[in-house]
Amino acid sequence: MVSEAAISVRGLRKSYGEHEAVAGIDFEVGSGEVFGFLGPNGAGKTTTIEILEGYRERSGGEIEVLGVDPGEPTREWRSRVGLVLQECELDPLLTVREAVTLFATFYPSPRPVDQTIELTGLAEKREARIGSLSGGQKRRVDVAIGIVGDPDLIFLDEPTTGFDPTARRDAWNMIEGLKELGKTVFLTTHYMDEAEHLADRVAILREGRIVAQGPMQELSASLGRRTVIGFRLNGGLDVEEVRSCVSATPQVAGDEISIETEQPQGDLYRLLALAEQRGVALEELEVRKPSLEDIFLDLTRDQGRQP
Amino acid sequence: MSERRIVLAQARAAIVVALRTPRALVFTFFFPLIFLVLFNSIFIKGGDQSVTLPTGLKLSAQAYFMAGITAYSISLSTFTTLAVSITTQRERGQLKRLRGTPMPAWTFIVAQILRATAQALAMTVLLVAIGVLAYGVDFPGSSFIGFLVYVALGTATLCTLGIAITPFTPTVDAASTIAPFSVVILAFVSGVWIPIDQLPHWLQEVGRIFPLYHLAIGLQSTLSPQASGLGLEGGNIAVLAAWALAGVWVATRRFRWEPQAGTG
Repeated sequence: MVSEAAISVRGLRKSYGEHEAVAGIDFEVGSGEVFGFLGPNGAGKTTTIEILEGYRERSGGEIEVLGVDPGEPTREWRSRVGLVLQECELDPLLTVREAVTLFATFYPSPRPVDQTIELTGLAEKREARIGSLSGGQKRRVDVAIGIVGDPDLIFLDEPTTGFDPTARRDAWNMIEGLKELGKTVFLTTHYMDEAEHLADRVAILREGRIVAQGPMQELSASLGRRTVIGFRLNGGLDVEEVRSCVSATPQVAGDEISIETEQPQGDLYRLLALAEQRGVALEELEVRKPSLEDIFLDLTRDQGRQP
Repeated sequence: MSERRIVLAQARAAIVVALRTPRALVFTFFFPLIFLVLFNSIFIKGGDQSVTLPTGLKLSAQAYFMAGITAYSISLSTFTTLAVSITTQRERGQLKRLRGTPMPAWTFIVAQILRATAQALAMTVLLVAIGVLAYGVDFPGSSFIGFLVYVALGTATLCTLGIAITPFTPTVDAASTIAPFSVVILAFVSGVWIPIDQLPHWLQEVGRIFPLYHLAIGLQSTLSPQASGLGLEGGNIAVLAAWALAGVWVATRRFRWEPQAGTG
Protein backbone atom coordinates (compact mmCIF):
# COMPACT_ATOMS: atom_id res chain seq x y z
CA MET A 1 0.00 0.00 0.00
CA VAL A 2 1.29 3.43 -0.93
CA SER A 3 1.42 5.81 1.98
CA GLU A 4 -0.51 9.08 1.74
CA ALA A 5 2.05 10.77 3.97
CA ALA A 6 4.53 13.20 2.43
CA ILE A 7 6.94 12.43 5.25
CA SER A 8 6.93 9.43 7.52
CA VAL A 9 9.46 9.00 10.33
CA ARG A 10 9.73 6.01 12.67
CA GLY A 11 12.32 5.65 15.41
CA LEU A 12 14.71 8.21 13.92
CA ARG A 13 17.99 8.45 15.82
CA LYS A 14 21.18 10.43 15.25
CA SER A 15 24.26 10.28 17.45
CA TYR A 16 27.41 12.33 17.31
CA GLY A 17 29.85 10.19 19.26
CA GLU A 18 28.43 9.86 22.76
CA HIS A 19 25.88 12.61 22.24
CA GLU A 20 22.46 11.56 21.00
CA ALA A 21 21.11 14.60 19.12
CA VAL A 22 17.92 12.82 18.05
CA ALA A 23 16.85 10.04 20.39
CA GLY A 24 14.15 8.08 18.57
CA ILE A 25 11.30 10.17 17.19
CA ASP A 26 8.14 9.29 15.24
CA PHE A 27 5.85 11.50 13.22
CA GLU A 28 4.01 11.78 9.94
CA VAL A 29 3.33 14.77 7.74
CA GLY A 30 0.31 14.51 5.45
CA SER A 31 0.23 15.75 1.88
CA GLY A 32 -0.73 19.41 1.63
CA GLU A 33 -0.19 19.98 5.33
CA VAL A 34 1.85 22.69 7.05
CA PHE A 35 3.76 20.88 9.78
CA GLY A 36 5.45 22.89 12.53
CA PHE A 37 8.57 21.39 14.10
CA LEU A 38 9.28 23.30 17.28
CA GLY A 39 11.96 23.33 19.89
CA PRO A 40 14.60 25.50 21.52
CA ASN A 41 18.07 25.84 19.99
CA GLY A 42 19.98 22.58 20.34
CA ALA A 43 16.86 20.40 20.61
CA GLY A 44 17.72 18.53 17.42
CA LYS A 45 15.52 20.40 14.93
CA THR A 46 18.24 21.16 12.40
CA THR A 47 19.74 17.68 12.68
CA THR A 48 16.31 16.18 11.94
CA ILE A 49 15.51 18.48 9.03
CA GLU A 50 18.95 17.91 7.49
CA ILE A 51 18.41 14.15 7.63
CA LEU A 52 15.02 14.59 5.93
CA GLU A 53 16.61 16.87 3.31
CA GLY A 54 19.21 14.24 2.46
CA TYR A 55 22.20 16.16 3.84
CA ARG A 56 22.98 13.97 6.81
CA GLU A 57 23.05 10.25 7.44
CA ARG A 58 20.95 8.88 10.28
CA SER A 59 22.14 6.49 12.96
CA GLY A 60 18.88 4.52 12.97
CA GLY A 61 15.18 4.48 12.14
CA GLU A 62 12.96 4.33 9.08
CA ILE A 63 12.17 7.43 7.07
CA GLU A 64 10.43 8.15 3.82
CA VAL A 65 10.16 11.54 2.20
CA LEU A 66 7.84 11.53 -0.84
CA GLY A 67 8.18 7.78 -0.82
CA VAL A 68 11.99 7.84 -1.05
CA ASP A 69 14.68 7.20 1.56
CA PRO A 70 16.49 10.55 1.79
CA GLY A 71 19.65 8.68 2.80
CA GLU A 72 19.91 7.83 -0.91
CA PRO A 73 18.69 10.95 -2.67
CA THR A 74 18.07 10.69 -6.41
CA ARG A 75 18.01 13.52 -8.90
CA GLU A 76 14.31 12.97 -9.57
CA TRP A 77 13.59 13.17 -5.82
CA ARG A 78 15.68 16.33 -5.44
CA SER A 79 13.60 18.00 -8.14
CA ARG A 80 10.43 17.44 -6.07
CA VAL A 81 11.86 18.81 -2.82
CA GLY A 82 12.37 22.53 -2.23
CA LEU A 83 14.76 23.81 0.43
CA VAL A 84 15.14 27.01 2.40
CA LEU A 85 18.24 26.46 4.51
CA GLN A 86 18.95 28.20 7.77
CA GLU A 87 22.37 29.50 6.77
CA CYS A 88 22.81 30.20 3.11
CA GLU A 89 24.13 33.42 1.71
CA LEU A 90 23.60 33.64 -2.05
CA ASP A 91 26.14 35.41 -4.20
CA PRO A 92 25.77 39.12 -3.33
CA LEU A 93 27.00 40.11 -6.80
CA LEU A 94 24.17 38.41 -8.70
CA THR A 95 20.82 40.11 -9.18
CA VAL A 96 17.62 38.54 -7.90
CA ARG A 97 16.61 37.57 -11.42
CA GLU A 98 20.04 36.09 -12.25
CA ALA A 99 20.02 33.92 -9.12
CA VAL A 100 16.45 32.67 -9.61
CA THR A 101 17.09 32.02 -13.32
CA LEU A 102 20.22 30.02 -12.47
CA PHE A 103 18.38 27.78 -10.03
CA ALA A 104 15.47 27.37 -12.46
CA THR A 105 17.83 25.70 -14.97
CA PHE A 106 18.49 22.86 -12.48
CA TYR A 107 14.87 21.65 -12.53
CA PRO A 108 12.97 19.63 -15.15
CA SER A 109 9.80 21.77 -15.05
CA PRO A 110 10.47 25.03 -13.21
CA ARG A 111 7.91 27.75 -12.53
CA PRO A 112 8.32 30.89 -14.65
CA VAL A 113 11.09 33.01 -13.12
CA ASP A 114 9.20 36.30 -13.15
CA GLN A 115 6.11 34.73 -11.63
CA THR A 116 8.24 33.21 -8.84
CA ILE A 117 9.83 36.57 -8.13
CA GLU A 118 6.41 38.21 -7.94
CA LEU A 119 5.06 35.46 -5.71
CA THR A 120 7.82 36.14 -3.18
CA GLY A 121 7.14 39.87 -3.26
CA LEU A 122 10.40 40.82 -4.95
CA ALA A 123 9.00 42.27 -8.18
CA GLU A 124 10.48 45.71 -7.52
CA LYS A 125 13.87 44.25 -6.62
CA ARG A 126 14.26 41.86 -9.53
CA GLU A 127 17.17 43.78 -11.06
CA ALA A 128 18.77 44.59 -7.68
CA ARG A 129 21.93 42.80 -6.61
CA ILE A 130 21.31 40.41 -3.72
CA GLY A 131 24.04 42.15 -1.71
CA SER A 132 21.98 45.35 -1.66
CA LEU A 133 18.86 43.72 -0.17
CA SER A 134 17.68 43.81 3.44
CA GLY A 135 17.75 40.64 5.56
CA GLY A 136 14.06 40.03 4.98
CA GLN A 137 14.38 40.50 1.23
CA LYS A 138 17.35 38.11 1.09
CA ARG A 139 15.24 35.52 2.86
CA ARG A 140 12.61 35.96 0.15
CA VAL A 141 15.24 35.20 -2.47
CA ASP A 142 16.04 32.02 -0.51
CA VAL A 143 12.36 31.14 -0.70
CA ALA A 144 12.22 32.04 -4.41
CA ILE A 145 15.08 29.64 -5.27
CA GLY A 146 13.45 27.06 -2.97
CA ILE A 147 10.16 27.06 -4.92
CA VAL A 148 11.32 27.89 -8.46
CA GLY A 149 11.61 24.15 -9.21
CA ASP A 150 7.88 23.82 -8.41
CA PRO A 151 8.46 21.22 -5.65
CA ASP A 152 5.72 19.18 -3.95
CA LEU A 153 7.35 19.50 -0.54
CA ILE A 154 9.18 22.50 0.92
CA PHE A 155 11.49 22.50 3.92
CA LEU A 156 11.70 25.86 5.68
CA ASP A 157 14.38 25.92 8.38
CA GLU A 158 13.71 28.83 10.74
CA PRO A 159 12.52 31.09 7.94
CA THR A 160 11.92 34.18 10.09
CA THR A 161 14.73 34.12 12.66
CA GLY A 162 16.08 37.64 13.08
CA PHE A 163 13.13 39.31 11.32
CA ASP A 164 11.39 42.45 12.52
CA PRO A 165 7.63 42.09 13.11
CA THR A 166 6.62 43.47 9.70
CA ALA A 167 8.99 41.18 7.83
CA ARG A 168 7.71 38.21 9.83
CA ARG A 169 4.12 39.08 8.97
CA ASP A 170 5.06 39.25 5.27
CA ALA A 171 6.88 35.92 5.47
CA TRP A 172 3.85 34.33 7.08
CA ASN A 173 1.64 35.56 4.24
CA MET A 174 4.07 34.07 1.78
CA ILE A 175 4.06 30.69 3.55
CA GLU A 176 0.25 30.74 3.59
CA GLY A 177 0.47 31.36 -0.15
CA LEU A 178 2.54 28.15 -0.53
CA LYS A 179 -0.13 26.24 1.31
CA GLU A 180 -2.78 27.60 -1.02
CA LEU A 181 -0.72 26.27 -3.94
CA GLY A 182 -1.20 22.82 -2.39
CA LYS A 183 2.41 22.39 -1.26
CA THR A 184 3.37 20.38 1.78
CA VAL A 185 5.42 22.59 4.11
CA PHE A 186 7.77 21.35 6.83
CA LEU A 187 8.59 24.33 9.01
CA THR A 188 11.05 24.51 11.89
CA THR A 189 10.82 27.44 14.25
CA HIS A 190 11.48 28.37 17.82
CA TYR A 191 8.58 30.80 17.85
CA MET A 192 5.35 29.31 19.19
CA ASP A 193 3.24 32.10 17.70
CA GLU A 194 4.67 31.31 14.27
CA ALA A 195 3.59 27.69 14.57
CA GLU A 196 0.24 28.75 15.96
CA HIS A 197 -0.32 31.07 13.01
CA LEU A 198 0.86 28.76 10.24
CA ALA A 199 0.85 25.12 11.23
CA ASP A 200 -1.96 22.60 10.93
CA ARG A 201 -0.10 20.23 13.23
CA VAL A 202 3.03 20.54 15.32
CA ALA A 203 5.59 18.41 17.09
CA ILE A 204 7.57 19.89 19.97
CA LEU A 205 11.10 18.62 20.39
CA ARG A 206 13.20 18.72 23.52
CA GLU A 207 16.66 17.21 23.85
CA GLY A 208 16.14 14.97 20.86
CA ARG A 209 12.70 13.69 21.92
CA ILE A 210 9.19 14.72 20.94
CA VAL A 211 7.46 15.93 24.10
CA ALA A 212 4.11 16.81 22.51
CA GLN A 213 2.54 16.54 19.09
CA GLY A 214 -0.83 16.96 17.49
CA PRO A 215 -3.13 19.50 15.89
CA MET A 216 -2.34 23.01 17.08
CA GLN A 217 -5.71 23.73 18.76
CA GLU A 218 -5.82 20.44 20.66
CA LEU A 219 -2.35 21.01 21.93
CA SER A 220 -3.04 24.45 23.29
CA ALA A 221 -6.33 23.32 24.83
CA SER A 222 -4.83 20.32 26.60
CA LEU A 223 -1.84 22.19 27.94
CA GLY A 224 -3.34 25.54 28.77
CA ARG A 225 -5.24 24.85 32.00
CA ARG A 226 -3.09 26.62 34.54
CA THR A 227 -2.97 30.29 35.46
CA VAL A 228 0.14 32.39 35.86
CA ILE A 229 0.62 34.96 38.65
CA GLY A 230 3.51 37.28 37.91
CA PHE A 231 5.11 40.22 39.72
CA ARG A 232 8.41 41.89 40.55
CA LEU A 233 10.04 41.28 43.91
CA ASN A 234 11.53 44.52 45.05
CA GLY A 235 12.84 44.00 48.60
CA GLY A 236 10.71 43.39 51.64
CA LEU A 237 9.93 39.79 50.73
CA ASP A 238 12.22 36.97 49.82
CA VAL A 239 11.58 34.07 47.49
CA GLU A 240 11.38 31.56 50.35
CA GLU A 241 8.51 33.46 51.93
CA VAL A 242 6.69 33.54 48.60
CA ARG A 243 7.30 29.85 48.12
CA SER A 244 5.87 28.98 51.52
CA CYS A 245 2.54 30.67 50.92
CA VAL A 246 1.62 29.43 47.44
CA SER A 247 0.68 25.98 46.11
CA ALA A 248 3.18 25.86 43.20
CA THR A 249 6.92 26.45 42.94
CA PRO A 250 7.67 30.03 41.89
CA GLN A 251 9.92 30.51 38.87
CA VAL A 252 12.51 33.21 39.44
CA ALA A 253 14.16 35.21 36.66
CA GLY A 254 16.16 38.10 38.15
CA ASP A 255 13.63 39.93 40.31
CA GLU A 256 10.70 38.63 38.25
CA ILE A 257 8.63 35.93 39.88
CA SER A 258 6.05 33.83 38.09
CA ILE A 259 3.86 31.21 39.68
CA GLU A 260 2.02 28.75 37.50
CA THR A 261 -0.82 27.47 39.61
CA GLU A 262 -3.95 25.37 39.43
CA GLN A 263 -5.38 27.25 42.47
CA PRO A 264 -5.07 30.87 41.44
CA GLN A 265 -7.68 32.22 43.86
CA GLY A 266 -6.20 30.82 47.08
CA ASP A 267 -2.61 31.52 46.09
CA LEU A 268 -3.36 35.09 45.12
CA TYR A 269 -5.27 35.65 48.35
CA ARG A 270 -2.40 34.42 50.55
CA LEU A 271 0.18 36.29 48.51
CA LEU A 272 -1.67 39.58 48.77
CA ALA A 273 -2.26 39.09 52.48
CA LEU A 274 1.45 38.49 53.03
CA ALA A 275 2.38 41.57 51.04
CA GLU A 276 -0.18 43.71 52.83
CA GLN A 277 1.00 42.52 56.23
CA ARG A 278 4.62 43.48 55.36
CA GLY A 279 3.59 46.72 53.74
CA VAL A 280 5.28 45.60 50.49
CA ALA A 281 4.04 46.56 47.02
CA LEU A 282 4.06 43.71 44.44
CA GLU A 283 5.17 45.65 41.42
CA GLU A 284 3.72 44.86 38.00
CA LEU A 285 1.37 42.30 39.50
CA GLU A 286 -0.57 40.36 36.86
CA VAL A 287 -2.74 37.30 36.61
CA ARG A 288 -3.05 35.69 33.20
CA LYS A 289 -3.79 32.51 31.34
CA PRO A 290 -0.52 31.11 30.03
CA SER A 291 0.34 32.11 26.51
CA LEU A 292 1.40 29.49 24.02
CA GLU A 293 4.90 30.81 24.54
CA ASP A 294 4.65 29.88 28.24
CA ILE A 295 3.40 26.40 27.40
CA PHE A 296 6.20 26.01 24.95
CA LEU A 297 8.80 27.18 27.45
CA ASP A 298 7.34 24.90 30.06
CA LEU A 299 7.48 21.88 27.78
CA THR A 300 10.96 22.59 26.58
CA ARG A 301 12.51 23.60 29.88
CA ASP A 302 15.12 21.22 31.17
CA GLN A 303 13.67 20.14 34.50
CA GLY A 304 17.04 19.36 36.06
CA ARG A 305 18.56 22.75 35.27
CA GLN A 306 16.29 25.48 36.53
CA PRO A 307 17.70 28.97 36.84
CA MET B 1 17.32 20.71 -18.35
CA SER B 2 20.02 19.20 -20.44
CA GLU B 3 23.22 18.95 -18.49
CA ARG B 4 24.98 21.15 -21.03
CA ARG B 5 22.55 23.96 -20.22
CA ILE B 6 23.18 23.48 -16.49
CA VAL B 7 26.94 23.73 -17.04
CA LEU B 8 26.65 26.82 -19.24
CA ALA B 9 24.24 28.61 -16.88
CA GLN B 10 26.66 28.10 -14.00
CA ALA B 11 29.70 29.10 -16.05
CA ARG B 12 27.88 32.24 -17.14
CA ALA B 13 26.99 33.12 -13.53
CA ALA B 14 30.63 32.54 -12.51
CA ILE B 15 31.85 34.88 -15.26
CA VAL B 16 29.30 37.55 -14.28
CA VAL B 17 30.46 37.34 -10.65
CA ALA B 18 34.15 37.50 -11.66
CA LEU B 19 33.55 40.59 -13.80
CA ARG B 20 31.76 42.27 -10.87
CA THR B 21 34.67 41.65 -8.45
CA PRO B 22 37.04 44.59 -9.02
CA ARG B 23 39.66 43.51 -6.46
CA ALA B 24 40.15 40.14 -8.10
CA LEU B 25 40.21 41.74 -11.56
CA VAL B 26 42.99 44.12 -10.58
CA PHE B 27 45.05 41.25 -9.23
CA THR B 28 44.48 38.73 -12.00
CA PHE B 29 43.96 41.03 -14.97
CA PHE B 30 45.89 44.28 -14.57
CA PHE B 31 48.88 43.01 -12.57
CA PRO B 32 50.20 40.64 -15.27
CA LEU B 33 49.76 43.34 -17.93
CA ILE B 34 51.52 45.93 -15.78
CA PHE B 35 54.34 43.48 -14.98
CA LEU B 36 54.87 42.75 -18.66
CA VAL B 37 55.19 46.46 -19.46
CA LEU B 38 57.31 47.19 -16.37
CA PHE B 39 59.81 44.38 -16.89
CA ASN B 40 60.27 45.24 -20.53
CA SER B 41 60.77 48.93 -19.65
CA ILE B 42 63.09 48.41 -16.71
CA PHE B 43 65.32 45.57 -17.85
CA ILE B 44 65.58 46.00 -21.56
CA LYS B 45 67.95 48.82 -22.44
CA GLY B 46 67.95 48.62 -26.22
CA GLY B 47 69.99 46.25 -28.34
CA ASP B 48 69.73 42.48 -28.25
CA GLN B 49 69.55 40.99 -24.81
CA SER B 50 69.14 37.30 -24.33
CA VAL B 51 68.48 34.93 -21.45
CA THR B 52 69.90 31.43 -21.17
CA LEU B 53 67.59 28.75 -19.77
CA PRO B 54 68.91 25.91 -17.53
CA THR B 55 68.75 23.60 -20.57
CA GLY B 56 71.15 25.88 -22.42
CA LEU B 57 68.51 27.25 -24.80
CA LYS B 58 68.78 30.98 -25.44
CA LEU B 59 65.91 33.35 -26.17
CA SER B 60 65.39 37.12 -26.30
CA ALA B 61 64.67 38.87 -23.01
CA GLN B 62 61.34 40.11 -24.43
CA ALA B 63 60.24 36.57 -25.26
CA TYR B 64 61.51 35.38 -21.87
CA PHE B 65 59.34 37.91 -19.98
CA MET B 66 56.29 37.36 -22.17
CA ALA B 67 56.37 33.59 -21.63
CA GLY B 68 57.17 33.80 -17.90
CA ILE B 69 54.42 36.32 -17.20
CA THR B 70 51.98 34.23 -19.23
CA ALA B 71 52.74 31.31 -16.88
CA TYR B 72 52.26 33.62 -13.89
CA SER B 73 48.99 34.93 -15.31
CA ILE B 74 47.63 31.44 -16.01
CA SER B 75 48.33 30.52 -12.38
CA LEU B 76 46.41 33.55 -11.09
CA SER B 77 43.50 33.04 -13.49
CA THR B 78 43.06 29.38 -12.60
CA PHE B 79 44.68 28.25 -9.33
CA THR B 80 44.16 31.49 -7.40
CA THR B 81 40.65 32.44 -8.54
CA LEU B 82 39.33 28.87 -8.21
CA ALA B 83 40.70 28.42 -4.70
CA VAL B 84 39.29 31.77 -3.54
CA SER B 85 35.92 31.57 -5.26
CA ILE B 86 35.17 27.95 -4.36
CA THR B 87 36.16 28.50 -0.73
CA THR B 88 34.00 31.64 -0.63
CA GLN B 89 31.02 29.83 -2.11
CA ARG B 90 31.48 26.92 0.27
CA GLU B 91 31.75 29.09 3.38
CA ARG B 92 28.66 31.11 2.41
CA GLY B 93 26.68 27.86 2.25
CA GLN B 94 26.17 28.18 -1.51
CA LEU B 95 27.73 24.80 -2.29
CA LYS B 96 25.58 23.10 0.31
CA ARG B 97 22.53 24.80 -1.19
CA LEU B 98 23.50 23.65 -4.70
CA ARG B 99 23.85 20.08 -3.46
CA GLY B 100 20.20 20.25 -2.39
CA THR B 101 19.08 20.80 -6.00
CA PRO B 102 18.93 18.19 -8.79
CA MET B 103 22.09 19.76 -10.26
CA PRO B 104 24.70 17.00 -10.79
CA ALA B 105 27.81 17.80 -8.73
CA TRP B 106 30.18 17.51 -11.69
CA THR B 107 28.38 20.30 -13.57
CA PHE B 108 29.39 22.77 -10.87
CA ILE B 109 33.05 21.76 -11.05
CA VAL B 110 33.12 21.81 -14.86
CA ALA B 111 31.45 25.25 -14.90
CA GLN B 112 34.08 26.65 -12.51
CA ILE B 113 36.86 25.19 -14.67
CA LEU B 114 35.29 26.68 -17.80
CA ARG B 115 35.23 30.12 -16.22
CA ALA B 116 38.89 29.82 -15.15
CA THR B 117 39.95 28.49 -18.55
CA ALA B 118 38.18 31.31 -20.37
CA GLN B 119 39.98 33.80 -18.14
CA ALA B 120 43.38 32.11 -18.60
CA LEU B 121 42.98 32.02 -22.39
CA ALA B 122 41.84 35.64 -22.60
CA MET B 123 44.85 36.72 -20.56
CA THR B 124 47.22 34.61 -22.68
CA VAL B 125 45.87 36.17 -25.88
CA LEU B 126 46.34 39.67 -24.43
CA LEU B 127 49.86 39.05 -23.14
CA VAL B 128 50.99 37.38 -26.38
CA ALA B 129 49.44 40.17 -28.45
CA ILE B 130 51.31 42.80 -26.44
CA GLY B 131 54.53 40.77 -26.61
CA VAL B 132 54.32 40.30 -30.37
CA LEU B 133 53.03 43.75 -31.32
CA ALA B 134 54.82 45.99 -28.80
CA TYR B 135 58.01 44.06 -28.04
CA GLY B 136 58.60 42.17 -31.30
CA VAL B 137 58.46 38.66 -29.84
CA ASP B 138 58.78 36.04 -32.55
CA PHE B 139 57.40 32.48 -32.61
CA PRO B 140 60.11 30.49 -34.41
CA GLY B 141 59.00 27.60 -36.65
CA SER B 142 56.10 25.60 -35.26
CA SER B 143 56.83 26.73 -31.70
CA PHE B 144 53.38 28.31 -31.55
CA ILE B 145 51.82 24.84 -31.26
CA GLY B 146 54.24 23.87 -28.49
CA PHE B 147 53.38 27.12 -26.70
CA LEU B 148 49.66 26.28 -26.92
CA VAL B 149 50.26 22.75 -25.61
CA TYR B 150 51.94 24.20 -22.52
CA VAL B 151 49.13 26.75 -22.09
CA ALA B 152 46.55 23.95 -22.22
CA LEU B 153 48.44 21.60 -19.92
CA GLY B 154 49.32 24.38 -17.46
CA THR B 155 45.71 25.55 -17.38
CA ALA B 156 44.44 22.03 -16.73
CA THR B 157 47.03 21.35 -14.01
CA LEU B 158 46.53 24.63 -12.19
CA CYS B 159 42.71 24.31 -12.37
CA THR B 160 42.85 20.93 -10.63
CA LEU B 161 45.27 22.29 -8.03
CA GLY B 162 43.03 25.32 -7.38
CA ILE B 163 40.16 22.92 -6.62
CA ALA B 164 42.37 20.45 -4.74
CA ILE B 165 43.63 23.08 -2.29
CA THR B 166 40.13 24.10 -1.09
CA PRO B 167 39.83 21.30 1.51
CA PHE B 168 42.89 22.89 3.16
CA THR B 169 41.57 26.47 3.20
CA PRO B 170 38.96 26.40 5.97
CA THR B 171 38.13 30.10 5.69
CA VAL B 172 37.88 32.71 2.96
CA ASP B 173 40.71 34.60 4.66
CA ALA B 174 42.96 31.56 4.44
CA ALA B 175 42.14 31.04 0.75
CA SER B 176 42.61 34.67 -0.21
CA THR B 177 45.99 34.76 1.53
CA ILE B 178 47.43 31.41 0.51
CA ALA B 179 46.17 31.25 -3.08
CA PRO B 180 47.53 34.56 -4.44
CA PHE B 181 50.71 34.82 -2.39
CA SER B 182 51.91 31.28 -3.02
CA VAL B 183 51.85 32.14 -6.75
CA VAL B 184 53.66 35.46 -6.23
CA ILE B 185 56.37 33.83 -4.12
CA LEU B 186 56.79 30.83 -6.40
CA ALA B 187 57.13 33.21 -9.35
CA PHE B 188 60.45 34.39 -7.86
CA VAL B 189 61.91 30.87 -7.87
CA SER B 190 60.30 29.74 -11.12
CA GLY B 191 62.16 31.98 -13.54
CA VAL B 192 59.14 34.20 -14.14
CA TRP B 193 60.94 37.48 -13.61
CA ILE B 194 64.42 36.51 -12.44
CA PRO B 195 66.33 34.14 -14.76
CA ILE B 196 66.67 30.93 -12.81
CA ASP B 197 70.48 30.77 -13.10
CA GLN B 198 70.78 33.94 -11.04
CA LEU B 199 69.33 32.16 -7.99
CA PRO B 200 71.39 30.13 -5.46
CA HIS B 201 71.39 26.45 -6.31
CA TRP B 202 69.08 25.39 -3.44
CA LEU B 203 66.42 27.93 -4.45
CA GLN B 204 66.50 26.58 -7.99
CA GLU B 205 65.87 23.12 -6.53
CA VAL B 206 62.89 24.45 -4.52
CA GLY B 207 61.43 26.07 -7.63
CA ARG B 208 61.89 22.89 -9.62
CA ILE B 209 59.44 21.05 -7.34
CA PHE B 210 56.46 23.19 -8.31
CA PRO B 211 54.40 23.32 -11.51
CA LEU B 212 54.84 27.06 -12.10
CA TYR B 213 58.58 26.49 -12.74
CA HIS B 214 57.87 23.87 -15.38
CA LEU B 215 55.12 25.89 -17.03
CA ALA B 216 57.32 29.03 -17.18
CA ILE B 217 60.45 27.22 -18.41
CA GLY B 218 58.34 25.18 -20.81
CA LEU B 219 56.70 28.22 -22.38
CA GLN B 220 60.07 30.01 -22.54
CA SER B 221 61.78 27.02 -24.19
CA THR B 222 59.30 26.93 -27.06
CA LEU B 223 60.27 30.52 -27.94
CA SER B 224 63.98 29.76 -28.27
CA PRO B 225 65.18 29.75 -31.90
CA GLN B 226 67.36 26.74 -30.95
CA ALA B 227 64.36 24.65 -29.85
CA SER B 228 63.63 21.72 -32.11
CA GLY B 229 60.20 20.80 -33.46
CA LEU B 230 57.39 21.97 -31.20
CA GLY B 231 59.87 22.87 -28.46
CA LEU B 232 58.27 20.47 -25.97
CA GLU B 233 60.38 18.87 -23.25
CA GLY B 234 59.34 15.59 -21.66
CA GLY B 235 60.52 16.60 -18.17
CA ASN B 236 58.27 19.66 -17.96
CA ILE B 237 55.30 17.78 -19.41
CA ALA B 238 55.79 14.90 -16.95
CA VAL B 239 55.99 17.15 -13.88
CA LEU B 240 52.91 19.17 -14.91
CA ALA B 241 50.96 15.97 -15.59
CA ALA B 242 52.05 14.49 -12.26
CA TRP B 243 50.80 17.57 -10.42
CA ALA B 244 47.51 17.38 -12.32
CA LEU B 245 47.02 13.74 -11.34
CA ALA B 246 47.89 14.53 -7.72
CA GLY B 247 45.32 17.37 -7.82
CA VAL B 248 42.60 15.10 -9.17
CA TRP B 249 43.47 12.45 -6.60
CA VAL B 250 43.19 14.89 -3.66
CA ALA B 251 40.16 16.77 -5.00
CA THR B 252 38.08 13.66 -5.60
CA ARG B 253 38.79 12.41 -2.10
CA ARG B 254 38.79 15.55 0.02
CA PHE B 255 36.47 18.07 -1.66
CA ARG B 256 33.92 19.54 0.80
CA TRP B 257 30.51 20.98 -0.01
CA GLU B 258 29.59 22.14 3.48
CA PRO B 259 31.00 25.17 5.30
CA GLN B 260 34.09 24.26 7.34
CA ALA B 261 34.03 27.16 9.79
CA GLY B 262 31.29 27.04 12.43
CA THR B 263 29.24 23.97 13.20
CA GLY B 264 26.63 24.12 10.46
